[in-house]
Amino acid sequence: MRVLFFAQLQDVTGCAATELASPSPLNREQLWFFLLEKFPGLDVHRANVRLARNWEYADANTRFGDDDEVALIPPVSGG
Amino acid sequence: MEIDIQLTTSPIAGKILPPASGAAGAWLEFRGTVRGDENGQPIAALEYEAYPEMAVREIRRLLETLAAKYPCLAARVIHRVGTIPVGETAIYAGVSGRHRAEAIALLAEFLDRLKQDVPIWKRRAVPAASLERASVSRSKSDSQPVVQAAAGHRPALRSLDEAIAEIHSCCRPLPPVRVSLEESFGRVLRETVRAPEDLPSSDRSTRDGYAMLADDPSENFQIVDSIHAADWKPRSLQRGEAVRVATGATLPCVDLRVVMQEHVERSGNTLRITKREAGLNLRRRGEDMKAGQMLVETGAQLDAGKLALLATAGCARPLVSPRLSVVHFTTGDELVPPEKKPGAGQVRDCNSSLIRGLLQPFQVELEQNHLPENFEAAWARLDLNRIDRADLVLISGGASVGDQDFTRPLLERLGFEIVFAQVDLRPGRPLIFGVNGTRVAFGLPGNPLAHFVCFYFAVATAQARLSGAAAPKFFRGQLAVKLEAAACPRETFWPARLDWNDGSPRLNPLAWASSGDVTCLAAANALLRVPANCPALDVDAELEFLPTAGMLGG
Repeated sequence: MRVLFFAQLQDVTGCAATELASPSPLNREQLWFFLLEKFPGLDVHRANVRLARNWEYADANTRFGDDDEVALIPPVSGG
Repeated sequence: MEIDIQLTTSPIAGKILPPASGAAGAWLEFRGTVRGDENGQPIAALEYEAYPEMAVREIRRLLETLAAKYPCLAARVIHRVGTIPVGETAIYAGVSGRHRAEAIALLAEFLDRLKQDVPIWKRRAVPAASLERASVSRSKSDSQPVVQAAAGHRPALRSLDEAIAEIHSCCRPLPPVRVSLEESFGRVLRETVRAPEDLPSSDRSTRDGYAMLADDPSENFQIVDSIHAADWKPRSLQRGEAVRVATGATLPCVDLRVVMQEHVERSGNTLRITKREAGLNLRRRGEDMKAGQMLVETGAQLDAGKLALLATAGCARPLVSPRLSVVHFTTGDELVPPEKKPGAGQVRDCNSSLIRGLLQPFQVELEQNHLPENFEAAWARLDLNRIDRADLVLISGGASVGDQDFTRPLLERLGFEIVFAQVDLRPGRPLIFGVNGTRVAFGLPGNPLAHFVCFYFAVATAQARLSGAAAPKFFRGQLAVKLEAAACPRETFWPARLDWNDGSPRLNPLAWASSGDVTCLAAANALLRVPANCPALDVDAELEFLPTAGMLGG
């Protein structure tokens, strides 16, 4: 799956996107586990970050599969 | 409620018309502008970032939710992203309703909730006095492209049409060269070639037989001469006279016809016609081409048939595009060569074969190399002299890291100015396009299907333009089956096969699940252009497609 980082999260990861491969769909905790393994600096942002899957906010039951576009959405500030 | 949403990097117009509706009693507008200070410090601009696909969806979802609560007639929202100078509009929202109360309520709640859910960010403030529009990549000649970019500003997302137009305007045809016919296959002709003389240059027989005056009613003839294919024996004929001719022979004069040898009885030097045919059995002078007639137009790619025509016309050293010099780098530490068995976490490199094959018809001079994922290690590996000679630089992104963040600084350090770094497209969104004088570079997203897509709309456009050919163009075709497109918020290039089902060409979409798919590439001979937010297309629906190699080869 492709995972996108926005705003200040890009400063943490040093990139706008990364690829994660997983043989089976991941739940939220599993996804975070893999992300933090790769980018430990994300941990301090975790509480404020919402996950999106294919352009919609994820909920507790969302599963993230290999073909999904996943985004980490830090607090927004548009307008 | 009628909803119109735009994200734009351009300034928002000063006056925006309300939707035409006789039912509306109120049209309410709000503009959010960039203030001149941030946290007490004077600023010159604010930089906004968006997750465009999701932002548009969220704004729409929000407006639809609110419309259920406050029934209004129409809403228009425009959010600007990128660098917005102080005093300019960052967001515009207009709402029309039958009465002012619901329009005011909807607008107020919309603006509150926008700041909670819509993925748009004020990224950073640009301090006063530092916002200078820098003009970079100046080349020696005025005719070369000059790319304007704002310093430190990440280039914005481009629509597919914008991206194609920009590639087109940044690439100029390279100076042409004269080469032999042997060398010119696959090149683009850069002069219009005309017929130097009539062809055939005289009337010629298409049969082995006997030539006589076309209006000669005689049945018996005296044979007065014999003409072979290479002979040139002009003479006039009288009634009752015939000339023995071979297929392809130049006839001795005009106004003749040829009778097939099967339709005469010959004895010694005389013959008798046993069967009269309606046809003349000859090719007339100038029947194939007339002197001065246009044969091959400038901009045509020279294939076997066109080379045969140039040879016929005596154009032995045509003026053609130079051989493009291309360097291609694969990146990604997970790649192993095709002959190796990939270990855990590794994949075989297919992009090298894909790019080599895609460029083959253009007869480019191609060099391919692999770069390590570490930036400095990759930089140390580069042959800068070779890259300096390249007209086109291609970098296939690594699949396991944020590849934009490797390719882009690499291209920038090589002197390329980045024109855009994303296209609103699936697959192929993270496509990077850079220009350095007359040379252009692409950072291709690592997945093979994304490569395939980006090659046909982007690299092929640059290749055509540098060579002086017409850019690839979209055709229209009809679907053979229903296409479930799943309403992607971006335009999608869908791999497909144009087949002659029941005698009429129809487009069959191929199965693909992700831009990493390779299987569909072997069958594809077209890329369907599926509009954004299109849930499904019925059988026979008409849509645009780009033909890809193999459309004619099968």
